[in-house]
Amino acid sequence: MRRILTGLAAAAMLAAGTAQAQNYPDQAITLVVPYGPGGASDLAGRALAETAREHIGQPVTVLNKPGAGGMTGAAFVSNAEPDGYTLLLARVGMALTPAVNPQSTVDWDAYTFLGELEASPMILAVKAGAPYDSVGDLVAAIEQNEGTMTYAASGATAIDGFTVQALLSDSGMDPLTAATLVPYKGGGALATALLGGHVDFLAISAGSLMPHIESGDMTPLMVFAPQRMDKLPEVPTAAELGYEQAGQITGWSALYGPKNLPEDVTAKWEEVLAKVADNETWLTLAERRGSISTVGQKNMAEYAKQQYELFHGLAQKFGYIQ
Amino acid sequence: MLNDILLALQAVATIENFLIMAAGIWGGVVIGAIPGMTGTMAVTLALPFTFYMQPVPSILLLVALYKGSTYGGSVSAILIKTPGTASAACTALDGYPLARQGKAGKALNMALYSSVIGDFFSNISLIFLAAPLAILALRVGPPEYFMLMVFALTTVAGVSGNSLLLGLVSACLGLLLATVGEDMYGSFRFAMTNEMQAGLAVAPVLIGLFALPELIKLIVFRNPPKTEPMKLGDNRVSGREIRASLKSILRGSTIGVVLGAIPGIGPASAAFFSYGEAQRTSKTPANFGKGELEGIAASESANNGACGATMIPLLALGVPGDVITGVMLGAFMIQGLTPGPLLFQTNMHEIYMLFIGMMVSSVLLFGAGKITMRAFSYVAEIPPTLLTSVVLLLCLFGIYSISNSMFDVTVLLALGVLGFAMFLLDIPAAPFLIAFILGPMIEENMRRALAISRGDASVFLSSPITWIFAALILFVIGITFRREVAKARQRKADRA
Repeated sequence: MRRILTGLAAAAMLAAGTAQAQNYPDQAITLVVPYGPGGASDLAGRALAETAREHIGQPVTVLNKPGAGGMTGAAFVSNAEPDGYTLLLARVGMALTPAVNPQSTVDWDAYTFLGELEASPMILAVKAGAPYDSVGDLVAAIEQNEGTMTYAASGATAIDGFTVQALLSDSGMDPLTAATLVPYKGGGALATALLGGHVDFLAISAGSLMPHIESGDMTPLMVFAPQRMDKLPEVPTAAELGYEQAGQITGWSALYGPKNLPEDVTAKWEEVLAKVADNETWLTLAERRGSISTVGQKNMAEYAKQQYELFHGLAQKFGYIQ
Repeated sequence: MLNDILLALQAVATIENFLIMAAGIWGGVVIGAIPGMTGTMAVTLALPFTFYMQPVPSILLLVALYKGSTYGGSVSAILIKTPGTASAACTALDGYPLARQGKAGKALNMALYSSVIGDFFSNISLIFLAAPLAILALRVGPPEYFMLMVFALTTVAGVSGNSLLLGLVSACLGLLLATVGEDMYGSFRFAMTNEMQAGLAVAPVLIGLFALPELIKLIVFRNPPKTEPMKLGDNRVSGREIRASLKSILRGSTIGVVLGAIPGIGPASAAFFSYGEAQRTSKTPANFGKGELEGIAASESANNGACGATMIPLLALGVPGDVITGVMLGAFMIQGLTPGPLLFQTNMHEIYMLFIGMMVSSVLLFGAGKITMRAFSYVAEIPPTLLTSVVLLLCLFGIYSISNSMFDVTVLLALGVLGFAMFLLDIPAAPFLIAFILGPMIEENMRRALAISRGDASVFLSSPITWIFAALILFVIGITFRREVAKARQRKADRA
């Protein structure tokens, strides 16, 4: 009798297990955005949550977990139960931080890669009326001023610090001393620093700069992206201008989950992301925040590895790690 | 122009818009009044709804939530000494003693009147002075910012209570705690655990320091604080009292508008600044902190004044000054509107609609405040033992819900114990909080200024704005020093 009962219980559990797996998702999904509300990553996360909800049949709630350059939120997801109910809106920082900081709390591959979402170009800009018409002019001025020119960035080893340092390194200067870094928090504060003339130049995400470029208060000199931006057809990319390292840097977002997500969860999201790729709302929202939707265009695991290796190499070259 | 305004009025004056704003304001007041729930949370939660709304109503909803929650913070600050938001911390200093004297209604009314007046002022400034204020705001670079924040820190002298020395000790503790976490160049300080790398959040520190010690006192001393029952007839703010506080309200509104227009300063710093000024110029500075209506007026007019003014850099320049306007910028972009000078050329219709809506929201704030006040004022009649447990529960859940973090709850409890210890040693809590909030801004702007000048300290006296603040700082230090010397002499004379 006991054996039968145990058998029954086991069978029931198995059945429940499969039933649960087939039913994914049967409750709300939490999408963790590892940065504060209102920024480019938050908007991307909320746009994904809104569009994915229609296709996955459950609410997707956005949870902002900022701190430690995005690593607080990343660690939260990486350590979460791999059941598909806690996912991460990953940014380029998830590959960059472990590459430049060996003590980083989460490695670049401590996730299940569900797919790429968007490329968000970065723009090198100066204040309107500044005496530089091209990147060449700016680089020459930086060289002449021997380190006294200033640029705003989130931090030395943040993506918007690396854009400038890669450019300096490509131009044959010491990336750490050729210009002075002035740290600011968030796209709004960074843009204000240039607008107020408190720094000389910056190279940050397009979303924070486009309004000021369109109003004529800033001059774009170069774009960090695989191709030119539709909105700025006459501004060259870093690769076009022959900047080898700078040409490889761009911003991106992707959808990650904790390592070892069950197959039905990854399959479900593959299906959902395929639908998101042509979703009107998703595409218009992406365009409005200055991004290019790249859903389903790349093998994310491979791309994340490439990105990690790129930044690891740069960090070694710049002298951040041995 | 008049035709355009009438067209905009027609477009914005719909029942739907009215309901959206009323719901936003009221929701904001309630959320702001609940300890641990903040305006940022309200605005962030409402953001996805705006994806499906028309551009102007969606912005109005967010603005309404922001204004409502900034006022709402004062309700719990007065009734249970638990400022719902950091900007209401100074309101608690005078509001809670008044509530204990049975004058909760009076305090709440004063808070509402000053909030609405401050709010009205900031709307008017947004409409008529946006361009010049925005230009002024851009002038404020790291050195100017640093001097301004140091001046705001001198408020500490005013809120130190009996002993300036103990006030300074408290402020130093606050500055020290503000250094926890990752600094602006990426090095970690006092980061003993992973959670500490992100630093301590404002909400748990604020509530831990203000609300929890009150609860611990109740448990330790076993005698509930004697609270006078609310006296009928003493709920009104008399015309004489309004007149007495009018100077502080007007000055607070101006301080709020100017500081709010500078990106990154925000309502909390404006409220500290205004409270300090009101006390410094008062004929009875000793009454501050013991139930002075003027203190409430100064603090509340400034925080709501700053609230609308944070829209100035957003609309005129397209730069968000804080997290809330950051979320609003996101909402604008989602709607296909780009804030900035271009908006005033291409979307004047929407701008007029927005302005009209904001004026209406001031009126709604008054109505929502009156209704909520009546509901909340019964809180003062709940037996303390019962109230204590509910407040503690709300604090714990509220703080946990901000970022689903048990670490925040630990911070809350630890600060509660620290706050109680400070009470036993007679160390005031307000300087601690002010220093904790201003500390990071002071440090970051000092380091930015020195980075730009490559270590040359003369950068702090490099522009007229910095000279003005340097003079003000010296002036305040001089006055404080003189007052302390006079006090010491008085004590000597008393002993003799």
